[in-house]
Amino acid sequence: MKLYVSCDMEGTAGVCSWRQCDPEDRDEYPIYRRYMTHEVRAAIDGAREGGATEFLVNDSHWSMRNLLWDELPSSVRVIAGAPKPHSMAEGLDGGSDGVFLTGYHAKSGARDGVLAHTFSDETVYRVTINGVECSEALLVGALAGANGIPVLLVTGDSTIVAETLRAFPWAVGVAVKESIGYYAANTLTPQAAQIAIRAGARDAMARVAAARPFAFAGPVEMRLETTGAQHADFIELMPGFERLDGRTVRFSADDYPTVYRAYVAAVRLAGAASAPA
Amino acid sequence: MKLYVSSDMEGVAGVTSWQQVDARTPHPEYAIFRRYYTLEVRAAIDGAREAGVTDVLVNDSHGPMHNLLFDELPSDVRVVFGNRKPYSMAQDADGGFGGAFFVGYHGGAGDADAVLCHTYAPSVIYEARVNGILCSEATLNAGLLGYYGVPVLLVTGDRTTVDGVARQMPWVTGAIVKESIGSFAANSLSPAAARDAIFHAAREAVSRAKGAKPYVFTPPLALDVQLVTAAQADLVASIPSFERTGGRSVRFVHDEFPVLFRAFVAAWRMGGLAS
Repeated sequence: MKLYVSCDMEGTAGVCSWRQCDPEDRDEYPIYRRYMTHEVRAAIDGAREGGATEFLVNDSHWSMRNLLWDELPSSVRVIAGAPKPHSMAEGLDGGSDGVFLTGYHAKSGARDGVLAHTFSDETVYRVTINGVECSEALLVGALAGANGIPVLLVTGDSTIVAETLRAFPWAVGVAVKESIGYYAANTLTPQAAQIAIRAGARDAMARVAAARPFAFAGPVEMRLETTGAQHADFIELMPGFERLDGRTVRFSADDYPTVYRAYVAAVRLAGAASAPA
Repeated sequence: MKLYVSSDMEGVAGVTSWQQVDARTPHPEYAIFRRYYTLEVRAAIDGAREAGVTDVLVNDSHGPMHNLLFDELPSDVRVVFGNRKPYSMAQDADGGFGGAFFVGYHGGAGDADAVLCHTYAPSVIYEARVNGILCSEATLNAGLLGYYGVPVLLVTGDRTTVDGVARQMPWVTGAIVKESIGSFAANSLSPAAARDAIFHAAREAVSRAKGAKPYVFTPPLALDVQLVTAAQADLVASIPSFERTGGRSVRFVHDEFPVLFRAFVAAWRMGGLAS
């Protein structure tokens, strides 16, 4: 059984500020980068105990080269670096039997979600697919689902875990912290979180027979609300995007993967609008 | 007759370096050449008015696109001012214009003997083609104007630019204000002499408007863009409906030129994120 792991960082135990997650930070980031890697390792160890034999880990945070190789099992493959066309879901196009989402965080605007955002803290106010407001977990999980792959495990704060389990009720959730607003959490220690994740991963593998791929029914419509009108100005330049109002664009396609890729492109181009004009 | 003026800065007399046209830093030289730029636009307007033009819209099309000195322009023109316009150097071309002027234009990316030559984004665009035709900024902007039935009447800039436009649009009147010597040097008219030449060319261009034709790309349209680096192509290829055709190249196919034009703007903006 081959397992795909998309690992983010903001949902790691102890994380409550951007400095801890910013690869440019010289003091905090090196500490939390190690905790992030150890949570991924705990998930892999638990999955192996539950029968997984092969692992593909997609480093899905910021520069997407955070994982410390020396702290990972030597037998895993890692997708490292950015940009990737499918970003946090790169390599999910088939061949895997299940997905783990580790270190995930709540969606943009969530109450009690440490560092809550949806791909971009700066430009994305809200994104809905077929009317459903999406977190990164849902966006990535739906791409897995479009390729017939179910989400088995989600780890992060209690807000994203609870929300993700509503969409994927067959999955196992491991809440490593209770967020108290955007910049604070009541958290497990990293060591305790790793133990909980390992147990959760093992448990997730035991429930794999009940897991289902999650898919948005076609045709698929995305509505993206940006934080500023200047971001929508840029997104609207791209073929297929329709401007609905100052800060809202729409994109539709018959299949979800096309919509997902358009979302990734939209967030990127919106980022260019943040530079001085 | 209503006249559309798209004004750029690299093709202004005397300009030979980026510092002279750098509005963002800005370089002290910019203040000097910004005035020459405005006065060339004014000369073109004055010449056009002598030949019967009544209404003028000027689209400031250089850099951050708010370079023109209002006090040096006639008070009765309208100006499209500011950056990030979806149709960029050809914004608001659909206003029922009888003709268009390209003032201060420069050569396309890769042109020999063309001061500050580039095509929209110097560090991003290696080459742009529509239906196989190599496109400078003048070509692309003329294509959008042509879509709305507006012919280009006048181009001013260095000889390379004027000759390039004349090959694609033989009805266009040219005012050559300098002979480029490579990318960063030119044998140039003085700004005052350039204004005089532009004034007379503008008057002639309007008087010859009847013989001018809109420059139209015939659908189906294929936009082929070569980026400078593969990293830029990685990003540009993520734009919906774009096809990766090579390590540094992408293609976009569509029937409507305005959609294609905006896709090109999206492409160079997206490509710029790679640096």
